[in-house]
Amino acid sequence: MDILIQQLLNGLSIASVITLIAVGVTLIFGLTGIINFAHGEFLMVGSIVTWLAVQAGLGFLPALVLAVLAVGVMGFVLERGLFQFTLTRPTNGFIVSLGLIVVLQHIVIFFYDPNQKSIPRPLAGIWDVAGVRIASVRVMVILVTIAVVAMTFVMVTRSRYGRALRAAVDDRDTAALMGIPVRRYVTGVFVLGSALAGLGGALLIALFPITPFTGGTMVMKGFAVALIGGLGNLTGAVVAGLILGIVEGFSAGYGFSEWTDAYSFALMILVLLLRPNGLFGGTSGPKMA
Amino acid sequence: MYNSLSPIRSLIPVLVVLIVLALVPAMGPSNRMLSLAISAGINIVALYGLSVLFGQTGILSMGHAALVGVGAYAAALLARDTGIGFWLALPLGGVFAAIAAAIIGIPSLRVSGHHFVIMTFAFGQLLTIVLTNGGDYTGAATGLDLQLPVNFFGARADDLMPYYFVVLAFVTLSAVASWAIINSSYGRTLRAIRENEKLAASLGINVGRQKIGAFVVSGVFAGISGVLLAYFLRHISPSQFTSFPSIYLALMVMIGGARLLLGPIAGGILVAFLPEVLNLDPVESRILYGVCLIAVILLLPNGLIAGAIDGWQKLTRSSTRKHPGTQAANAEHASEAGR
Repeated sequence: MDILIQQLLNGLSIASVITLIAVGVTLIFGLTGIINFAHGEFLMVGSIVTWLAVQAGLGFLPALVLAVLAVGVMGFVLERGLFQFTLTRPTNGFIVSLGLIVVLQHIVIFFYDPNQKSIPRPLAGIWDVAGVRIASVRVMVILVTIAVVAMTFVMVTRSRYGRALRAAVDDRDTAALMGIPVRRYVTGVFVLGSALAGLGGALLIALFPITPFTGGTMVMKGFAVALIGGLGNLTGAVVAGLILGIVEGFSAGYGFSEWTDAYSFALMILVLLLRPNGLFGGTSGPKMA
Repeated sequence: MYNSLSPIRSLIPVLVVLIVLALVPAMGPSNRMLSLAISAGINIVALYGLSVLFGQTGILSMGHAALVGVGAYAAALLARDTGIGFWLALPLGGVFAAIAAAIIGIPSLRVSGHHFVIMTFAFGQLLTIVLTNGGDYTGAATGLDLQLPVNFFGARADDLMPYYFVVLAFVTLSAVASWAIINSSYGRTLRAIRENEKLAASLGINVGRQKIGAFVVSGVFAGISGVLLAYFLRHISPSQFTSFPSIYLALMVMIGGARLLLGPIAGGILVAFLPEVLNLDPVESRILYGVCLIAVILLLPNGLIAGAIDGWQKLTRSSTRKHPGTQAANAEHASEAGR
């Protein structure tokens, strides 16, 4: 029973990072139609920024803020500089993002070698609750994720900006006629998703050591979760992220760790075959092209 | 672009290039150059398959290296367990990769549009995981060795020089096969799907089946390329067939231009030799590839060769304007560029 709870907690903390990526993917892909496979590399850059800041003597919290800001700015520059030219041809945007994967990965390798990087645990405390050992850093990751995802959820579903955004996804032209600056919303969503990836990166390096190649598997999980949950559907992304993270946590704890990475792909293939719009229904991309 | 009046003419530039390539060994290249050329050639065989899929049908596969891997593992396993050698492994590798393509394609193409790309990517990753966890049968993460010699009419053909000609022969074969596909009614069917799927369906084309067919055809190319690769490297491991080789294959076909017959050759050679020419280390050259890919997509969406032809036509437009035929060709070209 102790082990069970511990695995559940481990699974939840992995699920948190995956959910953060998936929320970013589901927002960007589902609402703007940009297929950004370099999203995992955004996460990795977030980890690297955190690592650099901690190396420079900063505490974890300012490092995390720095990572979110840096990746957000990077997202802004890349959207304005590259992705805005591919909005009408999503496949081209996808290929651009493949190029970005290669570029970002190897720029990081070029400057900071391909070896594993880790930071000292920002919260070293381990609580002993009725025989279950709970690492406080994992609890921190889970709580931060819950808070941020809840904020995003309220922003997209409740605020007037979120309403304008969803209007722009449903019908760009009419939304534009109503005075909604559609292009600016596209940029805004991209920056928001990027910042979430930066946050995910900062939290990931608090949990595990990372390498410049970490982004590759993480982004596939992010896309898998986004598609399983239904594109553009935040609730779906959170639920699917939870399922996947817990399945992975348990499989790692009970001796099928070498198949861990296969679950997300297998699950995604299965869901796309049975329910192409995801478990909870999604936008299946904006109607643009 | 594909002048139906003279399909033979479109084959000529490719044949000229191939003849030039056949003369390369006479110039006494170093062993390093030869082995680079061989791996470029092996890639080009797979690229021709990818150009049928992406250039003609307009669907992109991000798991193509996995299909190459199926061919390569088929060759290694056949050699180990049954003693089947190079020449029989070639068609069998193609068949196995085609079956794998069908297995991937039938479910993947049920989901529409951009999801297909993601599905091929996922299947590619799955194959790597399966190969890594395959235990002794697939050699797990260390992979498999291949010891059988390559014989050609009783003579050993696996030294660099003869193997270069073997690979070149297959490059020629795949170029001609891809030319035949482009100029057949089958190729026109695929292009109809690329240009307007709904219109093609309303004309009675079974879009789903044709797409799967194109994927299977490209799988045959990939499988043969995999067998060539296995017999060239003599050792294969799962890491050679992950998503990154797939990205590089897509990159090569983009840089060369997927719709032109010369595109795959240009892309394969450029990507293989550019780092040598510029004297870059692998990390720098990959950054360069990535930048090139982004630049090509944003500035020359039809690839370098088509871009060069475009530029040439713009330069010479004033002198050719009087010929109505060329003008029509230009117009067609323009519509092609503005797809």
